[in-house]
Amino acid sequence: MTQILFHNINKKDLHTLAVYEKEGGYKGLKKAFAKEPDEIVEMVKASGLRGRGGAGFPTGLKWSFLAKDVFPRYLCCNADESEPGTCKDRELLQKNPHLLIEGMILCSYACKIETVYIYLRGEFYDLCEIMETALEEAYAKGYLGKNILGSGLNLDIHTHLGAGAYICGEESALLNSLEGGRGEPRMKPPFPAVQGLYAQPTVINNVETLCVVPYIVNNGAEKHAAIGTEKSKGTKLVSVSGHVKKPGNYEVVLGTPIREIIYDLAGGIRDDNKLKAFIPGGSSVPMLPADKVDTPYDYESLQAAGTMLGSGALIVMDHTVNVVEISLRLASFYMHESCGKCTPCREGTRWMWQILQQIQTGKGEASYVDKLLDICDNISFKCFCPLGDAAVAPVISGIENFRADYDELIEKMAANTAV
Amino acid sequence: MADDQVTLTIDDQTVCVPKGTKVVDAAKTVGIEIPVFCYHEKLGPLGCCRMCLVEVEKMPKLMTACTMDVGPDMVVKTTTPKVEKAQKGVLEFTLLNHPLDCPVCDKGGECPLQNNTFKYGPGDTRMDFTRAENLKAYPLSPVITLDRERCIACQRCTCYSEVIEMDNALVMHNRGFNNVIGTFNNEPYDTRFSGNVIDICPVGALTNTQFRFKARTWDLTNSDTLCAHCGCNCNMTLGARTNKFMRIESRPNDLVDDGWICDKARWGYDFLESKNRILQARTVPDSGTMVFSSPTTQDAAVRTANAIKKIVDEHGPESVGFIGSPYGTNEELYLYQKLFRLGFGTNNIDHKVYADSPGLPIDHYDVSDIETSNLVLVIASDPTEELPILDLRIKKVVARHGVKLAILNDQATLMDKYAHLSLRYNIGADAEVFSALSAAISGDGQANVKDTGIEADQLKSLADLLGSNKKVTIIYNPAALTGRSVDVLKQLLSVIREIPSIECGAIPAAPFTNAVGAMDMGILPDYYPGGVPVSDGEAIQQKWGKTAPIKAGLSAMEMIQKAESGELKALLVYRANPVVDFPGGKQVAEALKKIDLLVVHDMFETETAKLAHILLPSNGPGYDDGTTTNIGGRVQFRKGGLKTAHPPDWKIISLMAKTLNEEGDKTNYITSFSVTDEIAKKVPGYGEISKKSIKKEGMTRGAPSSKNGAGQEAMESSSPKPGTLKLRIANYLFAHDKILDATSVLAHHFKSSTVHLHEKDAKKLKLKDDDDVVVVSGNTEVAAQVEISNRCNPGGVVLPNISDEQGVWGLADNRDGVTWVEIHKV
Amino acid sequence: MFVFSEEDEKQIEKILNRYPEEQKRSALLPLLTLVQRREKHVSADAMRDIGRRLDLSPAYVQSVCSFYTMYSATPVGKYLILFCINISCQLNGCDELLAHTAKKLNIEIGGTTEDMKFTLHREECLAACSGAPMMRINDTFYENLTSDRIDQILGSLD
Ligand SMILES: Cc1cc2nc3c(=O)[nH]c(=O)nc-3n(C[C@H](O)[C@H](O)[C@H](O)COP(=O)(O)O)c2cc1C
Ligand code: SF4
Ligand code: FES
Repeated sequence: MTQILFHNINKKDLHTLAVYEKEGGYKGLKKAFAKEPDEIVEMVKASGLRGRGGAGFPTGLKWSFLAKDVFPRYLCCNADESEPGTCKDRELLQKNPHLLIEGMILCSYACKIETVYIYLRGEFYDLCEIMETALEEAYAKGYLGKNILGSGLNLDIHTHLGAGAYICGEESALLNSLEGGRGEPRMKPPFPAVQGLYAQPTVINNVETLCVVPYIVNNGAEKHAAIGTEKSKGTKLVSVSGHVKKPGNYEVVLGTPIREIIYDLAGGIRDDNKLKAFIPGGSSVPMLPADKVDTPYDYESLQAAGTMLGSGALIVMDHTVNVVEISLRLASFYMHESCGKCTPCREGTRWMWQILQQIQTGKGEASYVDKLLDICDNISFKCFCPLGDAAVAPVISGIENFRADYDELIEKMAANTAV
Repeated sequence: MADDQVTLTIDDQTVCVPKGTKVVDAAKTVGIEIPVFCYHEKLGPLGCCRMCLVEVEKMPKLMTACTMDVGPDMVVKTTTPKVEKAQKGVLEFTLLNHPLDCPVCDKGGECPLQNNTFKYGPGDTRMDFTRAENLKAYPLSPVITLDRERCIACQRCTCYSEVIEMDNALVMHNRGFNNVIGTFNNEPYDTRFSGNVIDICPVGALTNTQFRFKARTWDLTNSDTLCAHCGCNCNMTLGARTNKFMRIESRPNDLVDDGWICDKARWGYDFLESKNRILQARTVPDSGTMVFSSPTTQDAAVRTANAIKKIVDEHGPESVGFIGSPYGTNEELYLYQKLFRLGFGTNNIDHKVYADSPGLPIDHYDVSDIETSNLVLVIASDPTEELPILDLRIKKVVARHGVKLAILNDQATLMDKYAHLSLRYNIGADAEVFSALSAAISGDGQANVKDTGIEADQLKSLADLLGSNKKVTIIYNPAALTGRSVDVLKQLLSVIREIPSIECGAIPAAPFTNAVGAMDMGILPDYYPGGVPVSDGEAIQQKWGKTAPIKAGLSAMEMIQKAESGELKALLVYRANPVVDFPGGKQVAEALKKIDLLVVHDMFETETAKLAHILLPSNGPGYDDGTTTNIGGRVQFRKGGLKTAHPPDWKIISLMAKTLNEEGDKTNYITSFSVTDEIAKKVPGYGEISKKSIKKEGMTRGAPSSKNGAGQEAMESSSPKPGTLKLRIANYLFAHDKILDATSVLAHHFKSSTVHLHEKDAKKLKLKDDDDVVVVSGNTEVAAQVEISNRCNPGGVVLPNISDEQGVWGLADNRDGVTWVEIHKV
Repeated sequence: MFVFSEEDEKQIEKILNRYPEEQKRSALLPLLTLVQRREKHVSADAMRDIGRRLDLSPAYVQSVCSFYTMYSATPVGKYLILFCINISCQLNGCDELLAHTAKKLNIEIGGTTEDMKFTLHREECLAACSGAPMMRINDTFYENLTSDRIDQILGSLD
């Protein structure tokens, strides 16, 4: 299987500059510097690379949106990785920090950026230290700092730790947090490419996205575009968790059937139980029932199946699970993580949680399920940022696909009270 | 069609609005209401309440009308089933944890939440759980009550604190469902402008403690009036119930206040019912025995007129005088000067103790001109303490319109941190600095900056800054200048006028409510109304009659001196308190005691009123109607609001005038507007002013005829006296005086006496922070605590005027412009 | 009174250098983190101090501080245990293990042992889902937990 990011991930001491260089690291810089910055942007466009942070926005296109001739510009690497189920960026940061640094240098060259901030979630203190060490090495070797390898590019990369808030993964909340504020999302427009960090043009990319860039620069856009499907190019790191025998991060070519990921890579369902449901792209995307397990893992197929690829977290549930329990846990998560800025999200997530809790603890009534759906409808697409939409995804899809789980709990209760 | 107009369709109506208009506001222009909670024009879009969702063609999602700019050919629908469902949904969420205690809520009747629910809300709630419990009414400050349960977290108030007041004192704490508004560590939210959050809170979460449970909003009689505290003349509404004062609210007028009022406006009206008010006329019988009689106000007025007339007849018109007040209305002041000039034949008329004369060598800018300026230069003014709404306006343009702020002052102010360039001259060096700046601008002559505390290159950068900006507004406080340096300042203004490629104007920003009006109305010994100098004798007598005096009269300080020497026999003091507010202190009181007839016409039992032989009650703001002219030259109508049985001041004055004239004064004023009409006829610049023309937003008057540029040369600055420091008296917004008396709800803002020293001087004097000292000049002493704050350059001290009792003006010495003080540790 | 140590001051200087001069408020989270790590909480005094350095009102500092879960107003124990309870860990039985841990430490979830050694918190997903169930103690991630492993880990901390 083609691997772009993980082919050498378990190489001993890959996190050191020496090993990374021996593996061919930082070769992309010279290649890139021989080209005009715009050519790199075009290359990334042609490669078909889409953002791996969740939204799947074409990366090259994003770079080309930067406000013309406005400087300074910034790059923020989104290393907030907080989407439940997702743990791929952590592995990259931990085992291959130089790959990310190289990706950030290439992006900076392409976009004429001189300052980069890596926004790491506050809980990644250990990774921050690894990153700092790698940055020091890169500075010492002249890959960072002034006039890098004689290219004229000056570049500083800094780490910046968050402090515990899922919403700071949302790009505009991330900017507010990086500016020393509460992690509340910003109004768009203006988009970050026009007015981002410190109101300057800013690129925000996920760790994984940036880590793919060296491959594209080294091997050419065509090589990358040849991998994957018609509309989903390249590979994707998939964090497989839940009821599988071998949970872990796997790099798969986009378009690989989910069945293959669950049963071949992750070893199948634990205790050889029956697959009941899976969430293909992190807690914010709708879950699918077992009969969708042959869906190819790519952006368009998942969309056609009524869900999304999201951040690439495949959460697998076997038949022992009651979906209400899962939905309640996720509702509690979104209630806890809502920034509170907008009404439907702040009030709605709590109300959903209250109702789900009633159902889960056997105090639910038959009308609750429809009420839940209606509340979800009142939240969907009416919030300030996508967190609200994310919050309703597991609930709506849970009810649509597994209404029996709800009915079972409610009926059990009704039966109990009747006695 | 102009490029900056956008045409779109809202609910099938064609709307044409300027580019950049938000959809909500565009809808408003054609009478379509889109409900909002968090959106407020002045705060800008927040987009957090989601009440304003609308459908926009080609957009898959509903959009918030408050955050969306209009676009060409946009098609907006505000009443589709999708929109209605969303509105119901959002309202349901909003009300989910709201206590619905409308029957006992002060906001009832004027509550956007109540109104929106009525119009757009669901019939009932589907909430089956106990509502979230949150803190009920608790004091956010001594004057604001916060009811957290009612808060809908719309962020208007916290946004106000951030973008309008710009001090982030009121913030959102916690996250998500737990978020609450609050201050640091639950300290009181007691800024200078805190009360505005009450007006903008769309629910009953933030309420006026003074007004709580006093009346239902619909039972109030609201009068549209003006604030009478400072020269900004902000617009406000006075609410009364059964003729009792209930509350003040802001009444937006963009040209004056931009929609806000300061806390002194909102809570500084306890004086309307102060125990200290003069409600009864008093006279000392002619024999001079100190037995008071209590005639009616009318009787006392007649007696006053006759008594002064008698003195004029015996000792000549030079023996009587009038000290007015920059707090009176145009009508009151106009009538008084007319009485003294035409009735008593004297020009001994004044209202101030600092040098200034009517007219500017450049345009008199209105406050709103600041918005279109590129540079604002503030000279010797401390807007935050003196003209608070100006503080907000300047911060706004600096932060949001990219306007540059330059400051030239002898003391540090809170505006400094917003300044692009802030220069501090030595106390008393104002004239030198102004001429040096003139020289730096015009390039002729050497800019002499010796002993000014400012470097030549600093002045050069200020000169460059002035030259490199297209539109410049200069704001200066004449009352904070020493000696006759205001004349040098006016020369500087004429030099600035000549800078090619710039457009400029000035705002004379004396802090007093009607400082500009008082000048315009000729409450000056050497100028008739409209800035006509007494030297224009012919013109004056043509307009005012053959008997109109054309010899310059005495200034206020000269009148005090002549009282001392016994030459001034009669003095009428109108709403002024020379004993406390004039330089000299006790000496002033001694001088006034020597006068044969001292008449005081005032609202309060002041230190001066205590010395009066005849005391006339004045109703003042809140009761009497009249117009005032703000620092921008804008004339507006100040309605009384409360009723009183006492005759208004303008009637008392006109009665005095009638008494003098055997045949009876021909003028017969029916309302204060009758006087306004006469002003329009008689006062140059006021020709267009009428009840009608000033109705809504007021109207700027024409500038006075005198273009006053030259003036006298600067006085020699006094030479240093060994061991002494130069005194700068600063203003403090919440000073404890007759207006904010001990019972004021703003008493928590009262301060103790503090003298600000430079660290160098403190070291020399071996003083440290919090040391108790006395500040001494002549035989006056003022007690204070030391604060080493470098508020002025070495060699000077700043002493804020914090109360009448403190008596700082007693220290001042008006003769050479600068007062030298010693500081002794106690 | 709160004072930064000399070593902190060096760190602060380094932190401030990362951001443009006129954007020093970006240093707010890093400075709060510094205080939280050293003092195990962020006191009002510290907020005031940080506000002064960064030209922010103390209310603003508190507003930001209270938004993020990693800052606490009252001191946490020497070892802060963050026990992930989100979906992947839930599917792998974290609830029982969390209850086990609380019982072992003899505290409520959210509480701190009397000797101020351990504080136990429920935590949302910590990005170690393929190692579920997991917990983080101070800066260390512990994955694939079992009750035996938890006992052993707790026992090894002093
Ligand atoms: C609530 C929310 C949380 C998010 N969390 C993350 C995250 O933890 N990491 C991430 O890379 N992107 C996250 N995103 C997506 C970012 O907003 C943004 O789209 C992404 O960082 C862009 O990078 P990419 O184009 O490389 O994917 C989140 C989005 C939302 C709405
Ligand atoms: S108190 Fe009023 S203005 Fe402030 S957030 Fe709550 S509802 Fe909004
Ligand atoms: S008014 Fe538009 S979101 Fe509140």
